[in-house]
Amino acid sequence: MDQPVLKVNNLQTYFTSDAGVVKAVDGVSFEVSKGETLGIVGESGSGKSVTSLSIMRLLKDTPGRIADGEILYEGRDLVKISENDMRKIRGNDIAMIFQEPMTSLNPVFKIGRQLEEAIILHLKFSKKEARERSIEMLTSVGISRPEKIVHEFPHQLSGGMRQRVMIAMAMACNPKVLIADEPTTALDVTIQAQILDLMRNLTKTTDTAILLITHDLGVVAEMCDRVVVMYGGRAVEESDVLSIFANPKHPYTQGLLASIPKIGERLDRLQSIPGNVPIPSRMPEGCKFAPRCPHAMDICWEKEPEYKEVITNHSVRCWLHEEVPQDESELVGSTQH
Amino acid sequence: MSQNLLEVHNIKKYFPIKKKLFSKKKEFIKAVDGISFTVKKGETLSIVGESGCGKSTTGRVLMKLLEATEGKIVFEGNDITGLSDDEIRPLRKEFQMVFQDPYASLNPRLTVKEIIEEPLIVHNIDKAKRADRVVELLEVVGLNKYHANRYPHEFSGGQRQRIGIARALAVNPKLIIADEPVSALDVSIQSQILNLLKDLQEKYDLTYIFIAHDLSVVEHISDRVAVMYLGRLVELTTRDELFATPLHPYTKALLSAVPVPDPTVKRNRIILKGDIPSPAAPPSGCTFHTRCPFAQDRCREQIPEFREIEKEHFVACHFAEELGS
Ligand SMILES: Nc1ncnc2c1ncn2[C@@H]1O[C@H](COP(=O)(O)OP(=O)(O)O)[C@@H](O)[C@H]1O
Ligand SMILES: Nc1ncnc2c1ncn2[C@@H]1O[C@H](COP(=O)(O)OP(=O)(O)O)[C@@H](O)[C@H]1O
Ligand code: SF4
Ligand code: SF4
Ligand SMILES: [Mg+2]
Ligand SMILES: [Mg+2]
Repeated sequence: MDQPVLKVNNLQTYFTSDAGVVKAVDGVSFEVSKGETLGIVGESGSGKSVTSLSIMRLLKDTPGRIADGEILYEGRDLVKISENDMRKIRGNDIAMIFQEPMTSLNPVFKIGRQLEEAIILHLKFSKKEARERSIEMLTSVGISRPEKIVHEFPHQLSGGMRQRVMIAMAMACNPKVLIADEPTTALDVTIQAQILDLMRNLTKTTDTAILLITHDLGVVAEMCDRVVVMYGGRAVEESDVLSIFANPKHPYTQGLLASIPKIGERLDRLQSIPGNVPIPSRMPEGCKFAPRCPHAMDICWEKEPEYKEVITNHSVRCWLHEEVPQDESELVGSTQH
Repeated sequence: MSQNLLEVHNIKKYFPIKKKLFSKKKEFIKAVDGISFTVKKGETLSIVGESGCGKSTTGRVLMKLLEATEGKIVFEGNDITGLSDDEIRPLRKEFQMVFQDPYASLNPRLTVKEIIEEPLIVHNIDKAKRADRVVELLEVVGLNKYHANRYPHEFSGGQRQRIGIARALAVNPKLIIADEPVSALDVSIQSQILNLLKDLQEKYDLTYIFIAHDLSVVEHISDRVAVMYLGRLVELTTRDELFATPLHPYTKALLSAVPVPDPTVKRNRIILKGDIPSPAAPPSGCTFHTRCPFAQDRCREQIPEFREIEKEHFVACHFAEELGS
């Protein structure tokens, strides 16, 4: 296996306010290699976006700070480097796209100018080269009349087109890592299909490592090589995509997979996970999933389980898997899907 | 034999576009452009389509929150299209709506009790009965009386949707129009609400119009499904038919676009080109022709009729028979 391009070790990002400290991310570890797509999946508030903003060091304007952990990019710890060094990495080596393209597009400048400026800044191209590269990038993201689009303002484009432009901008500097935070969540399903297809083709040709953040397990199944499942600010399970779907080990992953309605499968009642998505300021002691877990035991309420590799390349944070002398299938009935 | 609770005949809703100075022509957004369907008593009819295709507008026209530009609405055999506000009032309690955004649709300054009570007051239920009814409703939707004096912000998204459902149920409606009721919720919570809606339907003999964009949710909840594109229905049939043998090219593309939560499945996906056109300037003829892989000259010129190709299977495509097989 390739050396990981990006490796996150026990990341902890806390938000401080008058009301106290919110541990939005509290123990997230994963790594992603060249050409690989790693999915980060979890419900709202599980800390997915804060994880990606931490990697990009984009928490400056928030009350959030990285309290502990390492973010290793090609061996350098991004937590420790200067803001100046980080600026060189951002956009150049690691690029990010958001659910809402207007987060990264400036409403008052034409598309062409924004693309060119990014290219000139990062790749030190001349104005003319930058214009050519812009057109080339817009073409590569499936925009049919790029010469026309460069003269338009973001608001003149549809949601799908804006998302394409943002991808073009992110990919223009050949980043080694692309962080995509819910890139298709706001899009219609036929447009989502276009964008996912585009992302798949782009990475095939560039070998970019992708961190794909989503709440949609369908998108995970179609796009990802490996998956990290997050719950209440923690990574609770990680494995290759086939194992996660065929043999989920964490009760939360099992519940999540069982709750999605699937086309072609007709159930009288859907399975669901009881209770509510946890609120970070009111996290239970012990395992964060205990209040909703059908297998919760005494120890689960008292002590948080560690995140452990229980079989090769399959990590779980759950007391059911803390000791694994028994046959694993006896521990938790695997979920059918 | 199931009878029709609601009949919708050729409903249109055009919104005028603010006129430019000196422009002579009046222009419209054709949000809903001539749709017809029936809703049988006790069934769930889903209306599915991408954003902007006119689903919410349809719901609001049926709720009489918006006046239809054209068309006829028949409820339990009575034409209710042109009724005055006074005449419509007693009927209002037969129709209730549940909205997508449980955050925006509940008044943040009212307690849960006040929110659920509101429709009861409107319909002159006396105070003593109201209090009992509120507690009963809270329990029916899986909450309890201790929630009554709290405010919406104290609840999670799923709980707020339960409050919205309790409010809709308060006056014993016959028809509930649920506009994307689970779209804003997390997956694990979505299924709780879908199960609740199913239980309530059985318990109170409710009829649902379920508006959604997520086909996997639609397959789960519906008896029949209507597919909408740019203000028109393109296909309408039973759930089983629609998912087994979709006939309209748009329905096929929509179904094929849904990501499958199974990494062992490799799909041959139909990827539509281009964007959804604006309803202010819909394409001529079949409005889907700009994206349809099978479009021909005739499609650009002639609007396909919404016709019953097989029993209970309506399709608006000139070539549905050829393309279906
Ligand atoms: N700007 C902020 N200020 C304070 N708390 C925040 C901020 N952003 C996020 N959080 C906290 O972090 C938690 C995780 O948020 P987020 O990473 O956005 O979740 P996700 O992307 O998984 O939906 C939130 O529930 C919230 O409590
Ligand atoms: N009150 C209104 N005034 C003008 N245009 C409207 C109004 N409500 C909806 N529209 C337009 O009508 C079209 C259909 O909208 P809507 O019914 O909300 O679609 P959907 O619910 O399917 O997303 C959209 O183009 C929308 O912008
Ligand atoms: S640690 Fe206990 S409560 Fe947590 S997921 Fe495992 S069994 Fe459930
Ligand atoms: S009428 Fe023509 S354009 Fe419209 S769906 Fe049928 S084949 Fe396609
Ligand atoms: Mg997020
Ligand atoms: Mg709508």
